Parts: sequence; C-alpha cells; structure tokens
Amino acid sequence: MALVTYISAITEALQEEMRRDERVFIIGEDVGVEGGVFKATKGLYEEFGADRVIDSPLAEGVIVSASIGAALAGLKPVPEIQFSDFITPAMDALTQQAAKLRYRSGGTQTCPLTLRVCYGGGVGGGLYHSQTNTTWFAHEPGLIVVAPGTVADAKGMLKAAIRQDDPVIYFEHKKLYRSIKEDLPDGDDFVTDLFKAAIRRPGKDLTLVTYGWTLQLSLQAAEKIHAETGAEIEVVDLRILNPLDKDTFLESLAKTGKMLIVHEDHRTLGIGAEISAIAAEQAFDCLDAPIVRLTAPDVPAIPFSAPLEKFYLPSVDKIVEAATKLLNY
Amino acid sequence: MATKVKEPVETPAATNGSANGSSLISNDKLRQLYATMLKCRTLEERARVLFKQSKFTGNYYAAVGQEAAAVGMAIDLRVEDTIGPSHRDFITGFIKGAPLDKMLCHLYARGNSPDKGRSSPAHFGYQPLNVITPASTIAAQLNIATGVALANKMKKNDNIAVAFSGDGSTSLGFWHEALNFAGVHDLPIVFVCQNNLWAESVNLQFQTKVPDISVKAQAYGFPGITVDGNDVVAVYRVAQEAIARARRGQGPTLIECKTYRWYGHSEIDPAKYRDPEEVERWKAKDPIANMEKYLTGKKLFTPEWKQEIVDGFNKELDAAIEIADKSALPEGIEALDHVFSFDIRDRVLNPKTYTPSY
Ligand SMILES: Cc1ncc(C[n+]2csc(CCOP(=O)(O)OP(=O)(O)O)c2C)c(N)n1
Repeated sequence: MALVTYISAITEALQEEMRRDERVFIIGEDVGVEGGVFKATKGLYEEFGADRVIDSPLAEGVIVSASIGAALAGLKPVPEIQFSDFITPAMDALTQQAAKLRYRSGGTQTCPLTLRVCYGGGVGGGLYHSQTNTTWFAHEPGLIVVAPGTVADAKGMLKAAIRQDDPVIYFEHKKLYRSIKEDLPDGDDFVTDLFKAAIRRPGKDLTLVTYGWTLQLSLQAAEKIHAETGAEIEVVDLRILNPLDKDTFLESLAKTGKMLIVHEDHRTLGIGAEISAIAAEQAFDCLDAPIVRLTAPDVPAIPFSAPLEKFYLPSVDKIVEAATKLLNY
Repeated sequence: MATKVKEPVETPAATNGSANGSSLISNDKLRQLYATMLKCRTLEERARVLFKQSKFTGNYYAAVGQEAAAVGMAIDLRVEDTIGPSHRDFITGFIKGAPLDKMLCHLYARGNSPDKGRSSPAHFGYQPLNVITPASTIAAQLNIATGVALANKMKKNDNIAVAFSGDGSTSLGFWHEALNFAGVHDLPIVFVCQNNLWAESVNLQFQTKVPDISVKAQAYGFPGITVDGNDVVAVYRVAQEAIARARRGQGPTLIECKTYRWYGHSEIDPAKYRDPEEVERWKAKDPIANMEKYLTGKKLFTPEWKQEIVDGFNKELDAAIEIADKSALPEGIEALDHVFSFDIRDRVLNPKTYTPSY
C-alpha cells in the first residue's frame, strides 16, 4: 500500500498501462519533457521516449484526430487536452468522428482511445481555465464519459478506460489533483468497473447524486448535516456520465424518497436534468419531495474575480442549505 | 540599424506609395518608440511584482523582451483600428492608449474594470479603443479580427485590424482559416506573429518544419515578411508598409517578428526547459538597450531623459495602483449579469416571479 495523490494515481495508471501494452502511447501539448502542465505525465518521457510520449504541435484538432487514426490502425492512444476549455478545436474529431466511427462502419471499425481532459473551477483560473463542460460529451452517444472523484478511481478507471475498446473521455478535476490522498494497493491489476456508480456514504434520508470535485464537497456536507442533525444522506458517486448507471441512484431513491443532484456544470440540460427526468419517469412513486438540482448557473463561463467565482460554484455551505431544505420538506 | 527584412512575396504594393514606408522616421517618432517600449516594460515588470506580492491572483503572461514587436506594430494605429490581442498582449491596450487605472483595475479584477472582473488578468480588452477582450483559445482572435476587417471593407472605410499571435498559434486550424479567408477577400488586416521560439515548453522545431513562419503567407496569396522583432525601427517600418497596404485596400500582410520572451510562459512557469545560455543570448539583444544605443548615436538620448520617463511613468502607475487598491470587488451576484441583452438575475433567483421586461 502507498499513500498517493489523485494526480500520481493518474501517472501510475499511465505508466503501468504503457509497460503492460506497448501499443499505448501519449500525445499532447507539453506532455513530454515538461511532463504536462500539471505534471500528470512526469517521468514517462524519460522512461518511454519521444516516440511514445509525443509533444504535439499546439493543435487539439490534430491531437485527437490523429489519435483516432492511430486507434483505427491498432494502437491505444491516450491523448491529453491540458484544459477542457481548449477542447473545442477537437470538437469535430470527438463528436463527428470518434463517437460515430463504430456506428457508421456497422461495427467493423473501432476507436479505442482515452482522452484525458483536465476540467473544473475553484482555483481562480477564470473564464478559460475553469470550465466544467462534461455535458457537451455526455450528450453524445458513442462516447464513454467518466469523471473519477476519488484517488482509487483515478487510477482504476484510467486503466479500465485504456483497456476499453471505445473512445473514452476521462475528465479529471484539477481541484482533486493534490487535495486528496489515498492508500492504493500495489500491483498493476487494480482496475475499476467503469460502468457502475458507487455509494460513497450510505444513508436513508436523502439521496445526493454527484461526481468529481463536488463529490468531495458533498461528503463534507453530508458529514456536517449528520453531526448537526443526525440525518443520514446517501451519497452516490456517478463516476460515469455516459452511459449513466441508473440502477444505483434509482435503488437509492427507493430507499430515501428524496433526491438532490449536485454538479458544477451548467444547469440547463445538464446531467442533473437527465437524472431528474429518469427519476420522474421511473421512480415517481418513490418521491416524497421535488427533485432538486444544485448546479452552476446558466452563465457562459466561470468569471475570474473571486466573489464572482464563489457565487458561481457549488460549495459545502450551499449543499448543506439545499439538503437541509429538502430534508425538512 | 540593420533591418532583416525579407522581400515580400508580392513586392509592388509593399514598397510603393506608403506615407512612411521605408522613408525617414522623424526624431520625435524614434523617441516615442523608445519611450513607449520603456513604459511597457515598466508596466509589465510592475505587474509581475504585484503578482508575486499576491496583490492580484490568477496568472500573468509577460511580454518582457518582446516590446519592440508590439510597440512597432501598434504605435500608430488609430482609435478606429481594431486590435485582436492574444494572452501575451496586455501591453497592446496600453500602446493604443488605454488608461492605466482601467488596466490596473482589470489586473485586480475589480468591479469597475472594463470587463467587470470577468476575464483573467492578462486578458485586457478595451472597447472604447477597439481592443478586443481576448479569449484564451489560441488563435481564435485572428478569425474575429478578420471579421472586423471584413466589416471595414464592407463599410468602405479605411480602418484596419491587427491580429497578434505567437508561433505556437500557427499550428492551429484557426490560424490558417483566418489567413486564407483574409487572403481570398483582400481584407484590410495585418497578422503579426511574435515568434518567440517557445509555446509553453514546446520549441518551434516541434511546432513547424519551416524556420521562417512568414513563408506560410505564400500559401494564402499575400506577402509574408520576417523582421528582427527586437529592432523597433525595423518593425515600425514593415508595420507602416503593411498598415498602409491594408488601408489602401490591397489586402493582408503577415509579419513575423523574431523575438524572445525573457521569462517563463507565465509567472508560475520557471521555464526549466530552456537553456540558460539561450536566455542570456537573447537578453543581450534587448530591444530597449538596442534602441538606446541607436538613439545615442543620433544624439537623441540621455540617461537623464530615460530617468525622467521612468520616474514620471512610475508616478502614473502608483496613482493607478492606488485607484485599483481602493476599488471595490464585484459583488458575487453580478456573476449573473451580461449574459444576454436582458437581465437574468430575477429569473435565476426567483423563477416563479419572473416576468419578461419587454
Ligand atoms: C486552443 C488552446 N490550446 C492550448 C492552450 C494553452 N496554451 C496557452 S498559451 C499556449 C502556448 C502559446 O504559444 P504561442 O502561440 O507561441 O504564444 P506565446 O505564449 O509564445 O506568446 C498554450 C499551449 C490554449 N490557450 N488554447
């Protein structure tokens, strides 16, 4: 067992998969000598060389498109987008090419690539270094979209993603990188089931559904409410945003009767809207209260100035307030 | 002063009939070029200190070492001309005449900054002077500025657009789309590539196979010129030609300024990927020191005059910093403003009571 951060869990996963399978390679801006702007690929260039850890030109479109081509030709690319804000030049590659390749070829061609994307606010990064744009991709059938919220998942889900035979977008929240640590078992067969949501805290009074950094905030909020009122909040970590694991949150809702969905992405047509619709359609009888969403507001992007950022983002206090209201409904 | 100017691919337009062209530059203009570079440097060095003192947060992308490119390009632009800056072009707003207090309030993300605290520190835009507020998306500003140039052409005025970018930007599709479109329509725009050899940690050799980025203009059918980007007189000369060409309706020019950033990509980058000798070599080509030598030769420079500029400018800076210090931060709820032409605060906060205002 070793105590590691979320970001070292990512590095370990990459290293182990590259050792295990020589088809795996990394491509992206600054991923080589520099080890990535957040140092997620640190040491890999030294170990695997410039052919397997490729510093690309500043061009997300070709980073992803070329990865698709390489995947088609039998390799296992793990491209990196350094900030999710800069994924837009690769939008065609992701939504029109990667997502549709298997479908349009009648299942004869596959696109096994794992795109690592760093996202999320709360670090004072401003408009273009903070966005949580997970919904853009979760809306696209054909893309597997995952967002690990724990250190163990950071490693286990990345390994599972690389072994997957589909395009996976792996969203890593930059706030998680160095703020959480976990003991991880040694050995390289630490692989997580990609397709299952997880119950991070059991409870009977309220189901709180979330993912990524807001998972950590939700766990703190649940703890706080428990300490103050004794109420038990069940925290469901979605982990995978597409395809959704409905069973886990529906089973939880059947137990608690109330549901709060917390996410950092915009509200309108976000994951919360989908979960809420599923619950309304399939678990109406279980509901003891309206389904509530706590999300970022529908403004174009997270503003820079500190008070604006604070207003914009979900926080422990906001979760406590929303959950308390719902518990008292 | 040697100007390493390559002949434009298409020469006549670039050499004929421009008012300033390669003809004599007045002594006043030479002194103005120098003084503006010195102020830019003073401003940026102060911004760096303020950042290190945590007087503002976020990040800052200094163009220290690259002043000649920005100043030579932007000094004679009219208010009506549009600038499309990148993340490293904070000083272009200043060169165009933006008030220092507005710039400092922007760095400090105050409620009364032009963008009301929305954009990151180095991303300064200023609508009254037609400086577009930058987005981080690399090269995006080139296409926007191209659109402004299109509108200017349609409106039949002689205003132009100047779009700045770095060497890394030239790898993006956006960059090529902008140049191609501007070429097809002979748009009144000047594309300025500040080739400082590095895009974050990635060297030019991993960005493009060609040593001179200016050759790329050939593919789009207009002149591309490489100039010593640390020689403000050389930059000014080619800028005058390109600007005049654009104003005459003869289309775009790509100007590649070969230059260097002295510091890391941003204030949080120690730039360990660079050879310290390379940095020293380029520091020896300091555009400001170069210009001092040149002006001294022409008896246009004294150390006292320099001191006067620095002292006077520092006073202006102190006053601007004081205004920024005293200015209020925006209120959190203002995060909901300026999404549409109408207010959404009420809709977001009181969904049931919301009624449209029209
Ligand atoms: C589309 C996009 N991808 C990546 C980034 C991250 N990024 C910001 S600046 C930069 C390097 C820019 O290099 P260059 O264009 O040469 O300009 P310089 O910083 O040298 O002035 C990168 C990769 C971004 N802002 N936008």
